[in-house]
Formats: sequence, C-alpha cells, structure tokens
Amino acid sequence: MSRKILLFLSIEHFHANVWKDRSLNQSEYFSNTVEGLEKFADFLHAHHDPVYLLVDLIEEDFRQETVPHLTGSNHHALVQRKFDQYYSNTPYRLTRLQQRQSEGRRDDELLFSALTNPSLVSVWLDVLLSHQVPVAGIYSIPHATTPLIKDLDSNHLLLLSWEKDAGLRQSYFLNKQLRFSRLTPIHSGSSFAEVIATETNRTRQYLHSLSLTPHSELLNVHIICHAKDRAHLDAHLSSNSNTHYAYLDLPQLGSQLKLKYDFQDSDATPLFLHLLAIQAPRTSYASPDHTHYFKLWQAQRAFFSLATLTAVTCLIWTAFSYFEGSGVANEINNLSYQTSRMLQEAEGIIRKFPSDTPSNGINPNGGTSITASASDMKSAVTLFRNLQVYSVPPEKILQGLTNTLDNFPRIRTSKLDWKMTASADSLPEQVITFYGELADFGNDYRGSLNYLEHFQLALSRIDYIVTPIKLPLDFSSKGSIRADIGSNRNKPSEFSLKITWRPKQ
Amino acid sequence: MSFSQSDIPHIKWSLITFLVTLAIGSSMVIIAQKYANQTHRSVRSAQQQLTEARSKLNAARDDQENMSTYTKEYSAIQNRGVIGDEQRLNLIEGLDELRGRNVVVDLKYEISPQQAYKPLTTLNTGNFELKYSPMKLQIELMHEGQLIRFFENLRRDINGWFILEQCSLEHSTLPNAQLKADCSGGWLTLKNRNAK
Repeated sequence: MSRKILLFLSIEHFHANVWKDRSLNQSEYFSNTVEGLEKFADFLHAHHDPVYLLVDLIEEDFRQETVPHLTGSNHHALVQRKFDQYYSNTPYRLTRLQQRQSEGRRDDELLFSALTNPSLVSVWLDVLLSHQVPVAGIYSIPHATTPLIKDLDSNHLLLLSWEKDAGLRQSYFLNKQLRFSRLTPIHSGSSFAEVIATETNRTRQYLHSLSLTPHSELLNVHIICHAKDRAHLDAHLSSNSNTHYAYLDLPQLGSQLKLKYDFQDSDATPLFLHLLAIQAPRTSYASPDHTHYFKLWQAQRAFFSLATLTAVTCLIWTAFSYFEGSGVANEINNLSYQTSRMLQEAEGIIRKFPSDTPSNGINPNGGTSITASASDMKSAVTLFRNLQVYSVPPEKILQGLTNTLDNFPRIRTSKLDWKMTASADSLPEQVITFYGELADFGNDYRGSLNYLEHFQLALSRIDYIVTPIKLPLDFSSKGSIRADIGSNRNKPSEFSLKITWRPKQ
Repeated sequence: MSFSQSDIPHIKWSLITFLVTLAIGSSMVIIAQKYANQTHRSVRSAQQQLTEARSKLNAARDDQENMSTYTKEYSAIQNRGVIGDEQRLNLIEGLDELRGRNVVVDLKYEISPQQAYKPLTTLNTGNFELKYSPMKLQIELMHEGQLIRFFENLRRDINGWFILEQCSLEHSTLPNAQLKADCSGGWLTLKNRNAK
C-alpha cells in the first residue's frame, strides 16, 4: 500500500502521522504559532505523499433536510442554495444523501453538515496549499466512523469514542444514518466514566427534544474503549429500559481493521486515522480548489501507472512476438534442412540418369543412344502403346470376315472398303463396307434371305457389328418390288452390309 | 476537475514518461511484430520450397522408376525410327525394296509433305508432337492374301511406323491382276518438343 500523511486537528492540537503498511508512526505535533507552522512546512518538505486531514471539532453542525428528488445541475443548485442558507460563512461543508423516501414524492433525505469555524482549518490548509501538497480531503470523525456501525444491530445507536486531543465524541445514528454528533472536551480531573454517564444522559435528552428518539425506543450506547477502562465504566454505567450500554473493544477493532498499533488506553484517534487511510468517505469538506493538487497527483500517478502498464504490455507483446518469431525461425531452419536434403537426394537420383550419354544421340556401342529424360521416355512409350489401336493390321480386321465367307459359298465379294473412324468410346473403330452378291436368289427368296441372315449372324458371333445397307429384296411395306420372274430367276442379287470391327480393350 | 496550463509542470514528467514509454513500447512492438510477420512469410516460403523440393524428389524417383521400366521399350521405338525426325530416305528405300520382292503384282505410292497428326480420340502426348506423312497406295493383287502379306512386310521390314487408315478392294481391270486395292495412311513420328 502507498504511503499517506494523516493529519489530525482538534481545537487545541494538530499532529501528523505517516501511515504506511497499515501502521502509524509516532505523532508529530505542531503548534498554531509561526514557529509551529514553519516546522509543519519543513515536515511537508520532507514528505510528498497525499494528505488526509481528520478534524474533531466542536464547531461542526449537522442538519437533516428532506428535499425534492433532483438530479444534475438542479440538484447542485438546490444544495448550493441550502449551503448559502445555512453555512454561508464557511467553505467547509458537505451534503450526503442518506436515503430516498419510499412513499409520496419519494423525496431525498439529505444530511447537510459544515465546519462552522473555518479559521481553525484554514490556517493549516493554507500551509498545505501554499506548498502544493496533494490534499485528498478534509474529513470529520462523525463521518469517518460510519463504517464502524454497519455491523451493529440497532436502529437507535449512540456511538461514543474518546480522542485524547479532542474529547468525548458522541455520534447518533438513526437507521444506520448519521443524524447528529457532538464533542465534549474532558477536562483534567474528570473521570472518563463519569463524563460518559453525564454526557450520555444529556445527549439523550437533547435527542428527545429534537424528537429524534421516541420515548418507548431503546437507545443503544456503544462505547469504544480499551479493556483497561471497561471495569471502571461498568461500575458507573448501568443499562435500564431506556438505555443499553455496550462496549467495542478498541484493540479488537484495530485488529479487525488490520491496524498494526499497540493501544495503551481508550484513545480512538489512531483507529479513526487508520480507518480514514483505508476507507476514506467519498465526500469531504474539501472543495475542488482544496483537492486540486491531489487531482494533479492522481493524474500524475495515473500517467505513471499507464506508463508502467504500457511498458509491461509492450514488453510482453514484444517478448511474445520475438519468441513466436524465434520459434518460427527454428521451423524455417528445419524446413530448409529438409528442403536441401530432398534437393540433394533428387540431384543424386538425376545424376545417375543416362543423360550423360553423348548429346549427338550416337551410342558408341552402335545403335542410337537415349537422350530423353525418364518422364519423356514414359510419355513416348505410353503414347506409342495408346497409338497401337490406330495401327491395326488388315489381317486382324478382315480375318473373321474371310473365314466366315468361306462358310457361305453362295455369297461373292464384289467390293470391300474399310476405314478407321472415331467411336463413342476412346478407341477408334474400323468400318467395313461389304458389297456382295447372293447366288440363286430368284429361286427361293425366303431361303436366300435366311441364308443372308445366317451370314450376318455368323459375323455377329465373332464380334462384328452388322448393319444391312442394301438387301437383295426390300420386303418392307415401304419398299417397291418389281420383278420379271422369267428372265431374272438365275441372276445373283446384290446387297451391301456395314460391318463394324472394334479392337478389344 | 479542470486543468489549466499552470498545472502542466506538475504532471509534465509523468506525461513525458508515459509518452516516451508509449513511443518506445510501440516501436518495440512494431519491430517485434515485423520480425514475427517476416518469419511467418519466410516459413511460408520455406514450406513452399519444401513442397517444390518434395515434388522434385518425387519426380526424380518417378523418373528413376520410369527409367528402368521404359528404357528398353523407348530404345526399341527409337531404333525403329519412330522418335525424332522422319527418315524419309529409309522409307523410300524400304518401299522400293518391298516392290522388288514382288509381294504384290504392282505397287504405286505417293507420300505427301509431313503435317501434324490429330488422333481421332484425345490422347495425352506429353512432351511430344505427333507428325504424320500421308501416303496413298495403289496395289494390284492376285488375291487378298497378298494385301495382308504386303502390310505385314511393310510393318516388319521398313524402319518407321505406318498407320493404315482406309482401303478399298475391288476387281482389277488389269489382265495380270485379280484385285486392285486403293489404300491410304501415313508414317507417324513422335517429335520431342525440347529436341534441338
């Protein structure tokens, strides 16, 4: 935790404590004299930490007001009007919203308070401002003690504490909201317990007069004290139907708030200073002019924090990018090594190829040497194999036809054409046009046509595809037939067939 | 809260510290990021080079395999005169020699200028151009068996590769021949595009 300067101001005393790591150093007192102010200025020269001023003065006034619920500039104007109305003679004033009413117009319940003797504060504040000290705020004990009562189960609570340099502080909380507070100096010779007993009664009567506590309600009085004073207090204070006394152990409160301080008596000042350091109220008596240097200090801190954050972020980012790059660089080395190894292997293989043979293509051993690359050789051989279907010997095409013709002696060949043509599949086919004559056709048309039909069937059985182009007799209904039976009976009849031969895959 | 010019000295050093830190930090980040981006580009390039090297190695291995598998067959094709420039003189000598053997009654032929060959079906010709010298043949025959033997001899004895495209066989008008064949085809060669 950062260091803070905690100042305590009472009617007669002013002292400073340096707060660091939840502990307070020895109080340094300054008198309200020229010498004391100079000494205080020297103290400020030696310390450059933000300052929290805690005041415990009789001259602090509280007013509770119910005002219409307003926001923004309207609310600000209303507050200013109230300040001018009640506390026009002091700049040390504040307002706190205590609650918003749940019924009716739902007005706001505000607590106005002020330090009504500004000169007591200003004399020290002027020194602070003249030395451009960052003043975080000006706080009073009643406002600063509010966090202590949040866990106490009481709607009417009077919190009592003793500040060695100020006196007995009594703060009244209604429904956990501060309503009123008063300070009573304890003069030498007076007993702490006697003063409490006397002042509690007075306060109770005062609260009744203000109608803040109804007669039937029990007032819980909680006294912050050291165990050493407990027995003495018990002897003087006795609870009754109107008032119930309870004790808050000062060292225990300190340890609950993790304060490193050895309490020797019931002086609660170190506790309140520590409370202020760790949990300062959001509002204070300081005006924006008073806290100007604190805002500048905060801005300065913010810039330093941003610089630190930026430096850390950039360092992490840079480191991440660098390590990412370095990791990738290792990968590059690995890839380059693999690449070079593969290239070497490829070159080793290529070097063994017979491309070193004479470039003129003449093999010294006779014949033609190979000058092509292996892939070219593969291309050439594959191409040559694929082109074999373009170079079919006539024997292969005609063998089946010749053999079949031997079995059909009545059929004579007039003319034979064949031609290589493209086919639907990937292989070219040979289309044979067969022009023939069928002997003795006129004697037996049906028998002759059956003979020719058998010839076609015989060709089909040996994988030829046969399509008649012209038959000896067109016996379909569309054809015309003319015959001279007497003269043509022994004449051969002409026909033609389209015979397709396809190479086997 | 409002700041005025007179407040600047109070926050000057913190502001300068922040701005300097921001400038140095940003520069460091930019440089480191550039380094990272550069290495990423380099790794992509290295990966690409590795892919290319792997392809080259695979191609070399394929070539190695092809070399042992295809060398013999390629050598045979090459020795047959199918690969490279057309050996037209060899063809003529071969045809004349064939005519002299009297395999057929009479033979007339006509070879046209070489041209590009377009196969009837699509073929992957690789690095080779297909060249084709069309040839027309008029053959007088005693019987069809002579035609088959003629093409057998043509294929076997002449150094080249003849593709027979079509033939027409009919009765001859000559007294010393029974049949007449009109055939056409061509001599095919494979020309390597990279060959000088």
